[in-house]
Amino acid sequence: MKQSYDFPADTAVLEKIGKLATDAGSNAGFNDIEIGDIQLALDEVCTNTIIHGLKNDPSRTFQVVLQWDSGEIEIQIHESGEPFDPLDLDDPKLENIMEEQSAGGLGLYFLRELMDEADFRIGRDGVKTWRIVKRKP
Amino acid sequence: MKIEETILNNVSRVKLEGRFDANTSDAVEKFIRERIEKGRSQFVLNMENVSFISSAGLRVVIIIARELRNEHQGDLHIAVLQPSVKRVFEISGLNNILKIFDDEETATKAFSK
Repeated sequence: MKQSYDFPADTAVLEKIGKLATDAGSNAGFNDIEIGDIQLALDEVCTNTIIHGLKNDPSRTFQVVLQWDSGEIEIQIHESGEPFDPLDLDDPKLENIMEEQSAGGLGLYFLRELMDEADFRIGRDGVKTWRIVKRKP
Repeated sequence: MKIEETILNNVSRVKLEGRFDANTSDAVEKFIRERIEKGRSQFVLNMENVSFISSAGLRVVIIIARELRNEHQGDLHIAVLQPSVKRVFEISGLNNILKIFDDEETATKAFSK
């Protein structure tokens, strides 16, 4: 099953995106914890896209493509925003998280921890794509 | 995000309802900062009705707790986490750094000890 949606770069859309993630996760047969992981991972990617890629400009849009089968879900997020390589960020040092200057980096840490695959690429046309995958054990 | 406050024994109990994400975290931070500026330094953040938290929400929790501890001789206690929210605290390790309680009253009384 595949669904595709376009959203404006506005954090107000995060709630609706969260609902899409939980519905798709449920349809793919994941349990509540796994669905929560999928929802959080997608939220983190979309937040990153809206704020860093598209600068919170609601006149700009990004696309979320959800594709799932029994026991597996793949979500791709496409946007044509500012050049930004999220993989440049280091994971936060959790033991020092109260001392870290900005408490940033947690979002990508969650992505790597909660999903089975998370990769980012920039196409020749400049379109940036996140791809996140979760599979049932 | 709905935000309500009650005050008991100089402790500001802030109850949140809804998602604690990049769309709502600024409002929560602003709410608490306004009270810190008025002299409050002991806060209970009741998250019983918080259905979802992302790193944006955690960032506000971390920054506020750090500031209260380091600059105001105070603290931020967390009261009641839904299972999915508790999981996020555990993955980030914040459950070992912040004081988390099963109910608002216990979280409030802990400031008196």
